[in-house]
Amino acid sequence: MTAPSAFTPTPDASTEDHAARQHWIGVLSRTRRADLLPHEDALRDAEYQLIRAPEIGMTLVRGRMGGSGAPFNVGEMSVTRCVVRLADGRTGYSYLAGRDKAHAELAALADAHLQGPQQAHWLGELIEPLAQAQAVRRSQQQAETAATKVDFFTLVRGEN
Amino acid sequence: MDAVTASATLLQPAFADPVLDSQRSFRAALKALAGPGVAQSLLSAQIPPHLEGLAPASHALCLALLDVDTPLWLAPKFDTQAIRANLTFHCGCPIVGDRQNARFALLDDSQLHDLSGFDLGNDRYPDQSCTLLIQLPSLQGGRQLAWQGPGIESRNHVSLPLQEAFWEERNSRNDFPRGIDVFFVAGSELMGLPRSTQVLLKGAQ
Repeated sequence: MTAPSAFTPTPDASTEDHAARQHWIGVLSRTRRADLLPHEDALRDAEYQLIRAPEIGMTLVRGRMGGSGAPFNVGEMSVTRCVVRLADGRTGYSYLAGRDKAHAELAALADAHLQGPQQAHWLGELIEPLAQAQAVRRSQQQAETAATKVDFFTLVRGEN
Repeated sequence: MDAVTASATLLQPAFADPVLDSQRSFRAALKALAGPGVAQSLLSAQIPPHLEGLAPASHALCLALLDVDTPLWLAPKFDTQAIRANLTFHCGCPIVGDRQNARFALLDDSQLHDLSGFDLGNDRYPDQSCTLLIQLPSLQGGRQLAWQGPGIESRNHVSLPLQEAFWEERNSRNDFPRGIDVFFVAGSELMGLPRSTQVLLKGAQ
């Protein structure tokens, strides 16, 4: 999507921008459509053009056994992507799991807005609350999963 | 971030209906090669928005034919930022600087006296040759020549505005089954010239 060689002029500032954008695109990709719907009117309140209308495709997911083994193909998942451009030339990208075109369009709009002068507003209104909610959801799930852990240490073979 | 922002502002939408419009354009390309010398025209509804420098049919053919597996060579006239940005974005095709590695090439009429360097395929895989998309001001207005060969019942009379040098270049690189297939494009029309077509240069006989 973006040429890596383009991120050279001011290494520090652009690496920081890059990381910040990775963060919010990551948060947006983990949202559900219901998370973005309350912001729909604000997101769509700008003149914009669909450069790549939302489209559904598939992508191959690969993994490594135990995180460090040889790569293998886990399977394919459906992905929806979208690119929008606001009237001032800012482009927003989104890649989301699933087949929800409206969701992809909203996430792309959010990415475009987050690159503009209103960045702090959008970070505070949209990204931070969503990131917190996702962290809570994740830790809850981890706690639930941890509760099912079986400790094999307690199993003793019956030899004497 | 500047180069990215700059190329992002050049991006524009492609086909309104990516699946059906590229299939329609592909169908037109197929018919053009199956019936050499017969102009095929694209409907205005299936033509993508205007991209500076490209004729509507060239743009449609690029969107229909190019993808990540088809390196593209651009003649200097078409090597603009807008064309590069949009074709790499919408097609994902690599743009190459040397002709030898290109599977498709986009040329204008200033390049036609020299077709050296394009891949002619090999005897085992003649299909790996480079396909030329040649954008002309019009598909008429040149000397009338008779075409014959597969896909043509008797003879087709075609008057493309081309110099003799082009036909000499084509003949010198036509070593069947190796050779170059060509699409001529003007406005929203296209015409195919596969390697199997014989062009009778000595006038009607």
